[in-house]
Amino acid sequence: MNLPRRKFLKAGAGSLALLAAGCDQLPHELRTFFAIETRREGPFGAPTKTTIDPITHALNRCGFGARPGDYDRIRKLSSSSEEAAAAYLEQQLAPEKLDDERAELEARRFETLSEPLGELFEYQQELLQNELRRATVVRAVFSERQLYEVMVEFWSDHFNIDPSKGDCKWLKVADDRDVIRKHALGRFPEMLRASALSPAMLWYLDGRVNRRERAADKPNENYARELLELHTLGVHGGYSQQDVMEVARCLSGWTVRSTEEKPYFQIGKVEFHPKRHDFGAKVVLGHELPAAPAGLKPDELVRRGQQELEQVLELATRHPATAQHIATKLCRRFIADEPPADAVQAVAAVFSGTTGDIRATLRALFATEEFQRERGTKFKRPFEFVISALRATDAQTDASLQIIDYLIRMGHVPFGYPTPDGYPQQPEPWMGTLLWRWNFAVALSQNRIKGTRVDIAALRRNAGGEDALVAHMLGRKPTREEGQAYHDSGDGLALLLASPAFQWC
Amino acid sequence: MGTTQTFISGNRDKRRTLVVIFLRGGADGLNMVAPLQDDGYYNARPRIAISRGAAIPLDGFYGLNPLLKDLLSAYQDGALAIIHAAGSEDNTRSHFEAQDLMEHGGLVGGGWLGRFMRAHGAGTGGPLAAVAVGKAVPESLRGAPATVFQSLDDFSLGADPQPLLKALGELYGAEKDKLGDAGRYTLEAAHRIATLRTSLYQPANGARYGTDGFSQGLLQIARLIKGRVGLEAASLDLKGWDSHFGQSTVMDPLMTRLAKGLAAFYQDLGREMETTTVVIMTEFGRRLAENSAFGTDHGRGSVMFVLGGGVKGGRVLGKWPGLSKEVLEGPGDVPVVNNYRNVLAPILGRHGTGDSLGQVFPGFELTPMELYGAVA
Repeated sequence: MNLPRRKFLKAGAGSLALLAAGCDQLPHELRTFFAIETRREGPFGAPTKTTIDPITHALNRCGFGARPGDYDRIRKLSSSSEEAAAAYLEQQLAPEKLDDERAELEARRFETLSEPLGELFEYQQELLQNELRRATVVRAVFSERQLYEVMVEFWSDHFNIDPSKGDCKWLKVADDRDVIRKHALGRFPEMLRASALSPAMLWYLDGRVNRRERAADKPNENYARELLELHTLGVHGGYSQQDVMEVARCLSGWTVRSTEEKPYFQIGKVEFHPKRHDFGAKVVLGHELPAAPAGLKPDELVRRGQQELEQVLELATRHPATAQHIATKLCRRFIADEPPADAVQAVAAVFSGTTGDIRATLRALFATEEFQRERGTKFKRPFEFVISALRATDAQTDASLQIIDYLIRMGHVPFGYPTPDGYPQQPEPWMGTLLWRWNFAVALSQNRIKGTRVDIAALRRNAGGEDALVAHMLGRKPTREEGQAYHDSGDGLALLLASPAFQWC
Repeated sequence: MGTTQTFISGNRDKRRTLVVIFLRGGADGLNMVAPLQDDGYYNARPRIAISRGAAIPLDGFYGLNPLLKDLLSAYQDGALAIIHAAGSEDNTRSHFEAQDLMEHGGLVGGGWLGRFMRAHGAGTGGPLAAVAVGKAVPESLRGAPATVFQSLDDFSLGADPQPLLKALGELYGAEKDKLGDAGRYTLEAAHRIATLRTSLYQPANGARYGTDGFSQGLLQIARLIKGRVGLEAASLDLKGWDSHFGQSTVMDPLMTRLAKGLAAFYQDLGREMETTTVVIMTEFGRRLAENSAFGTDHGRGSVMFVLGGGVKGGRVLGKWPGLSKEVLEGPGDVPVVNNYRNVLAPILGRHGTGDSLGQVFPGFELTPMELYGAVA
């Protein structure tokens, strides 16, 4: 039985017979009913300043925007809004301590997410893709662990895999769970290692066919190149084409059982084949890796191959360019499109000093003056726009395919980017998406999205009137023009969601 | 409403539109464009071949299926090129595998058309840069912002969008940065869409579209092109070509629909065909030899058509491999001499890939066909 006792009692006598049958058999509708029970109802306060304060900044920049009540709750953490925001971010850096019942309930309906690797192949790829996408949306909307969900998005881009390639259609489900979500606020070296040995990554970047069985075999460089260019050092990180080839040699022999092989229960299994590994001497990023001595036993060869992988990943992780690269990307995500050099240095120093402790690195970032200063200056990517609109309006949503379709139209559906560099963080590629943002705003406010409902009257009532509702939506008091447009538009809620101000975070 | 002075993009709305038509099920290129002078064709298809008398002669070697006669005027205008023995390297003869490979452009993530849109459209793509007519985004468009639509109503901003658009106009009009530009372009696009929706569409030059889904899809695409809403790529399927038995009952109505739809589109667009390219492709062709059920089984090479966009048409391109036993592949199939990427590459070049063709078709050494120039 997964539900806490409190919910049980609320469910009412009529449901008891069903509950006795066990929650796993609960019909879909009833599970949703439980979920609604956890809603935070009642009056909520809104920001009262004309500019974005540190609390709204933290909610917008480190999460997917405020839901009704979020602002109040944080405001009470301290007498100053700066300290309150800092206390909130500190809570967010320890997501395991935050009760996240609602999001877990909402995501639980997507049953394929928890299937073990070997079972995933039993499902239609379309079902897997839809469940993964929809779960990503409901988690972002309902999770209290907002920073964690933001980092999941960040690392999903950083270690991007397009599931449409080969067996990735099945394997990405496991990658999302066992690589990205497992390590999103953990330690970078562990995430990198999990990614390097992720069956989906071995498929996506061809690591599985990187082999040297005969002297004439050329290693497949695809993963080695992206490992250095995208995952660690960065494109100008100071590695050479020779390094790429040497890294590929180090990683040769790793592969993954494909759906074309038997037995079926081994599909997706990652293996190291010493016969396909290049045991010769290598030089990686200036470090010598000697050749394997002759006469090693098979299990010694396996160990040796595994050691080479560990060595390569450690060399890449500890390279100063990697700290610089990750810090730059984090600062671009959390501070500004042109990351300020001082902030990057401060963040890179902590990344290096802690060997990639992601929480410590983020803590350092949030402490920079630049982070505090740059409020409301980042253009929301479409996913952030859609999620923040659903959160701000307190929408009930099952993340139906209609929501997914809007994200496809805006070119930002989760797990839909073809190349390994991940969706762009810069604003320019997203400027053409306004029409669909406006269309979504109207559809949401007029309750024309299947499976998603907004109760505008309740929202207005709980906010304490129109003015407070507008301030809640924009994270600050409206300008005179915004107030006027709100009243003239004929659909105030749609206007707010479609307004320039709501496109920024 | 939109005036000639207002644009929906920073490039003054100069755009080309690529329309991709996928004939799903494996269309029989041999009976669409028959190699009249190859006896191998007649020997292998004693009952279902297109006779020399019935075929419409194209160039002395090939003949057009009479059911495709509506394509003849475009061919004679020099606006329709035909590429034979075309297809992909996939030899599984599985619909799913072959379509997947062709639409992805290899064993890679995303679709070729999606990568094309990303490669050339970064930052300039409008809200309606890519559309798919139908119910789902095809795999070829995967990875790009793409809109599935069945009717123009899908684009509406509610029943009475004017007050909202006006209010948005006030707010975005006061923005000075890139978002201000984007807002103004979007308002213009919204106005143009509203105009399109509320006006009756009258095809030009006496063109008459059929009432079938394929023709109506082409009509919607023509509307978007003429409405200047920023359309750069459109995808449309014509399904049902899997002619294992009773080939003629399966294919004949489809060929008629294909030819009539394309002919109407060609006539309707008139001079706009100069900046509009239509590509017609299929996942594979059929086996050379007919089977006992008056049908044909899954084969390899088929035919591709390229209409408009300045193509140097009025000819059948690509080397004909012949149909002798040594030439045929596997169980007796026309080999693929012309990889479909080599047909698409010059078209994408013209539609604006610049140097990024390698990104669109990674891991494939391109030898683009000379669609726009002379070939001996």
